[in-house]
Amino acid sequence: MNIRCAKPEDLMNMQHCNLLCLPENYQMKYYFYHGLTWPQLSYVAEDDKGNIVGYVLAKMEEPEPNDELRHGHITSLAVKRSYRRLGLAQKLMNQASQAMVECFEAQHVSLHVRKSNRAALNLYTNSLGFKILEIEPKYYADGEDAYSMRRDLTEIAKELDPEKFEISFGQRTKNPVDHIHHDGHCC
Amino acid sequence: MPSSDPLPPKESAIFRKILKCYEMKQYKNGLKLAKQILTNPKYTEHGETLAMKGLTLNCLGRKDEAYDHVRRGLRNDLKSHVCWHVYGLLQRSDKKYDEAIKCYRNALKCEKDNIQILRDLSLLQIQMRDLEGYRETRHQLFKLRPSQHASWIGFAMSYHLLGDFETANSILETFRQSQSLNETYDYKHSELLLYQNQILQESGNIDKALKHLEDFSAQIVDKLAVKETMGELCLKLGKFSTALPIWEGLIKRNPENTLYYQKFIEAKQTKDSDEIVNIYKKFQSEYPYSICPKRLPLNVANGDRFSEIVDDYLRRGLRKGVPPLFVNVRSLYQHDDKVKVISELIHGYHNSLKSSGHFSNADKEAALPQEPASALLWTLYFMAQHYDHLRDTTKALEYINAAIEHTPTLIELFVTKGRIYKHAGDLVEAFKWLDEAQSLDTADRYINSKCAKYMLRANMVKEAEEICAKFTREDVSAMENLNEMQCMWFQTECALAYQRLERWGDALKKCHEVDRHFSEIIEDQFDFHTYCMRKMTLRAYVGLLRLEDVLRQHPFYFKAARCAIEVYVRLYDKPLKTEQQVEEFDTENLPPSELKKLRNKQRKAKKKAELETAQAVQAQVKKEQHNKSRQLQNQDGDPEAPQLDELVPEKLARPDDPLEKAIDFLRPLQVLAKECIKTHLLAFEIYYRKNKLLLMLQSIKRAKSLDPIDPNLHTCIVKFYKALKVNGEINEHVRTVIDKETKLLFDGRDADAMNQDVLKKFPNSFHHVLQVARCMYELDATKRNTAVQLVMSFDFKRLTLEDATLAYNYFTTGVFGVCESSANEYKVKCQQRFPHALLFKDQQSCENHMENVKVEWDNDDQQ
Repeated sequence: MNIRCAKPEDLMNMQHCNLLCLPENYQMKYYFYHGLTWPQLSYVAEDDKGNIVGYVLAKMEEPEPNDELRHGHITSLAVKRSYRRLGLAQKLMNQASQAMVECFEAQHVSLHVRKSNRAALNLYTNSLGFKILEIEPKYYADGEDAYSMRRDLTEIAKELDPEKFEISFGQRTKNPVDHIHHDGHCC
Repeated sequence: MPSSDPLPPKESAIFRKILKCYEMKQYKNGLKLAKQILTNPKYTEHGETLAMKGLTLNCLGRKDEAYDHVRRGLRNDLKSHVCWHVYGLLQRSDKKYDEAIKCYRNALKCEKDNIQILRDLSLLQIQMRDLEGYRETRHQLFKLRPSQHASWIGFAMSYHLLGDFETANSILETFRQSQSLNETYDYKHSELLLYQNQILQESGNIDKALKHLEDFSAQIVDKLAVKETMGELCLKLGKFSTALPIWEGLIKRNPENTLYYQKFIEAKQTKDSDEIVNIYKKFQSEYPYSICPKRLPLNVANGDRFSEIVDDYLRRGLRKGVPPLFVNVRSLYQHDDKVKVISELIHGYHNSLKSSGHFSNADKEAALPQEPASALLWTLYFMAQHYDHLRDTTKALEYINAAIEHTPTLIELFVTKGRIYKHAGDLVEAFKWLDEAQSLDTADRYINSKCAKYMLRANMVKEAEEICAKFTREDVSAMENLNEMQCMWFQTECALAYQRLERWGDALKKCHEVDRHFSEIIEDQFDFHTYCMRKMTLRAYVGLLRLEDVLRQHPFYFKAARCAIEVYVRLYDKPLKTEQQVEEFDTENLPPSELKKLRNKQRKAKKKAELETAQAVQAQVKKEQHNKSRQLQNQDGDPEAPQLDELVPEKLARPDDPLEKAIDFLRPLQVLAKECIKTHLLAFEIYYRKNKLLLMLQSIKRAKSLDPIDPNLHTCIVKFYKALKVNGEINEHVRTVIDKETKLLFDGRDADAMNQDVLKKFPNSFHHVLQVARCMYELDATKRNTAVQLVMSFDFKRLTLEDATLAYNYFTTGVFGVCESSANEYKVKCQQRFPHALLFKDQQSCENHMENVKVEWDNDDQQ
C-alpha cells in the first residue's frame, strides 16, 4: 500500500476508480482541472502493482466576496471496497488537508455526503472531526439530500508550524493575496 | 490596424460592433448587424464582414453556411488578416489544426505583429507539438510584450520543451530577478521557483539544483515538494547524512509512503536484510497505526525471519478482521518458499482455532486469552483466497463454503466464491454469486460494477447494462451514460463480450468509442495551454503535455485496440455477407419441414428486428431531446464542436478495407507500446494478409528483439518463410534486404527444420508445442494427425485453464482444419482436467445450467 500525491498520469486511473466506486462521475477534463489548478491537493492510494485503489480529489473554493477565509473542498473521495478497513480514506484526507493548509492557507475544508451514507458519515464525524453544517435538500441528481460538512483546519496549521501560524495568519487578513480565483474558463 | 478594404466610418462602427457581439456571444445581434452592412449594395461583398458573419453562423451551429461565408469573404479580400484569422478560427473549431496553422500564418503575413493571432498560433503549435514553431512564436510575443509575465514564462517554456535547459533557466532567472517579492505568501511565485528547479534538475546540474532549492526554500509554500526534491538531490550527490533526516521527516509526515522508506534505507546505505527489517521495526513502534512499516519488511525478510514476522502480520490481521489481508500479501506469492510458510501458518491457525480458539497450541498452553470468534472466519476467508490463487478450486471452494456457513451475511465471501468459479471457468456460476453479493448491498457501486463485469465475462451484455443502470442517470440509457462518462473498463469488457459472441459490429463500435475517448482527452489539453500559464502551475502543465504525448500507452487503449485489430482481421478473412446476400439464402434444396422451420425463424427474426428498430427510433428521439435540453442548459458548451459520425454496428462490420482500419488502431501501439511483443505479433498478422514482406520482417525483428523465444513469434517466422516461397517475383532491392536478414533468421534451415528445432528445445512448454503443431499442419496438411497428437498428448495436469481454452479454440476454429472428432476428444480430456469449466461441458448440460441461472435471475429481478 502506498499513499502519495497524485500526478497528472494518475488522473485517468483515478477516474477509473471513481467510476467503479461512486455514482457521481466526471469527465477527464474535470480531473485535469483539479490536477492542474491545485496539483498539491489530490492524493492516491495504490497497491503493490501500482493500481489505484483509493483517491481523494480536492480543490480550493473561491472565497465569497468580503469573506477572507479561504477553504478547501473535497470533490470526491473513494476507496475500493476490497481495500476497506485499512484506514486509507482517513489517511488520504489528512494528507490532502495538510496540503490545503500549507500551500493555500486553508482554514477549513468542506464536503458533501449523502444522508444515507452512514459509513462515510461515521468516518467524517468520528475519525476526521467534521461537523454537519447544514442539510442541502436534493443535492444529488437522484434527489437525495446531502449533509454539508466542514472540518476546522487551524489545529493542523498550528501543528505544522506554530511560528509560521502566528505570522502568516496574523498578516494575512491585512493583505489578502488573490491567487486562486477560478474564472471558469477552463471547465 | 488599417483594413485592406476599409469601410466608411458608419459601417466601420457597425463592423466593430459585430466583433463585440462575437466576443460577448450575442450571435443573433451580430447577424443583424452584419446584415446592415451587407444589404448596402456597395458592400454586399465586403470580405471581412462576410467572414465575421460566417464565424458567427458557425457559433450557431450553421456550419455549411459558415464555411460559405468565410470562404467568400476571404476570396474577396485575400490581403485581410481578419479574413485569414477568421478562416483559421473556423478550421480550429473543426479541429483541423494543421489547416488552421496555415491560415494563421497567412494572417501574420498581412499583419506580422498582431498579438492575438500570434497567441492563437502559439496555442495550435503547442497543441500539435510543433515545438520549433512554438519557440519562434513565443519569441515574437516576448519581443512585442516584454512587460507581460506570460511572455517570459511562455518563452522559457518553449526552450524547456525543446530540451534547451540552459536558455530556459536563464530566461526564468532574469525574470525572477526582475520580480520584487512583497508578499510573505505567494503561491504563483512558489510554483515558478519549483518549475525553475525542475529545469535545473532535468539539465543534470544537480549541484546547482540543490543550491537553488536551498536558497529559495523559504519562498516556496509547497513544503512537500521541497523536501522530496531535496532528499532526492542529496542522495544523487551522495550526501547521505543530509538526506537521512529529510527522509525521516517525510516518513513522519506520511508514514504510508513506500518510496520514503526506500529512500531512507538508501540513505542508511545498507543492503543487509536483517538490518532493513530492524529499521522497519523501529518505524513500526513509532507509527503503530501505519501499514507500511509492518508490510514492507515482508518483501525483504527471508527464512526464519520471514516466518517470524509474517506470523505476527497475519495474526494481527486475522484478529482485527482486515478484509484486504490476503490481497496485501498476494505479491509475496511469486516466491514459492514464502507461499509454503504462509500455507503452513494458516493451516496451523485453522486447526488451533477450531480446537481451542487460539492461533497455536503454544498460545493455549501459555493460557493466553482466546481469539475473537471472527478470527476463524477471517482465517477461512484467507485460506479460500490462498487456494484460489494457487488455482486449487476444490480446496478453495471447501474453505469459502465453510466461511459462508460460519457467517452467511458477509458480502466479501460471495465475491470470493464468484471469483473462484470464474478462475475455474464457470462464468455463469461466477456471476450468480456476484449477483447475490450485489443484491445484499445495492447502495455500493463497487460491488455493482464487479457484478456487471462478471456478467460481461459470461457474455450477458444486456443484463450487465441493466445492472449498471442502477447507478447511471435515469434520463438516458446506461450505455449512453457510461459512454458519456468515459467508462472505459465497461466498454472494453463489452467489446470483448461481443467479440466472443461474434457480434463484430457491436464489438467494433465499443472499440471505436474507447478510441474516441482518447482523442477527446487529447483534445482536452487545449484550454490548459493558456490556463496553466496564468495559474503558474507549470510543473503540472509540463506533466500534462508529457502525459498526452503517450496517452494511448494506457492499458485501456491497448485492450480496445487489440480487440479491434483482431476483429478487423477476422472480417478480412471471412467478410460478412451484405444484408442483401443474407436475404437471398438458398432455400431450394431444403426439405419442406426444414423450410418451414426456417420460415418460422425468419419471421421471428423479422419481428425482433422490427421491434429493435422501433426501440432504436425511440431511443434516437429521446437522445435528440436530451441533446437539445443539454444545449439549452449549457449555453457555454461548444456548439461549434464537430459532430462525429454515428457508429453503426452494421456498417462497421462491413468495412471497405478492414486491414487499413486495423492499421489505424495499430499505429499508436507501434509508437507507444513497442516494448510489448503482442504489438508486433498483431502487426505481423495484418501485414501478412497485406502480403507486405518488408513490414512482416520488420514486425518479426521487433518482436525478436523483445523475446527471441516467444512461441507465437515462431509461428510468424514460419508463416513468413511460407510467404517468401509463395511470392515468386520479388523486387531486387527488397530481395537483397530479405536475403541478408533471413540468413540470420532462418540460419540456413527450412520451415520444417525450424519447427523441429523449437520442438526439440521446448518440449515441456505447452505454448511452444502448440505453435509447433500449428505450424506443422500449416506447412503440410497431411501431417494433421501428428500435429493433433502433439497437442493431445501434452500432460494435461500441467495445463492452465487459459492454455486449454486456447488449444480447444484452435480445434474448433479450424487451425487444424475440420477435425470434429479430435475436438471432441480434446474437449472430454479438458473436461476431466477442468470439471467446472463451462467451455468443456457438453452442450445440453451447459444450456440447462444457463437456463436455470437465468430463470433464477429473472425471478430475483421481479421481487
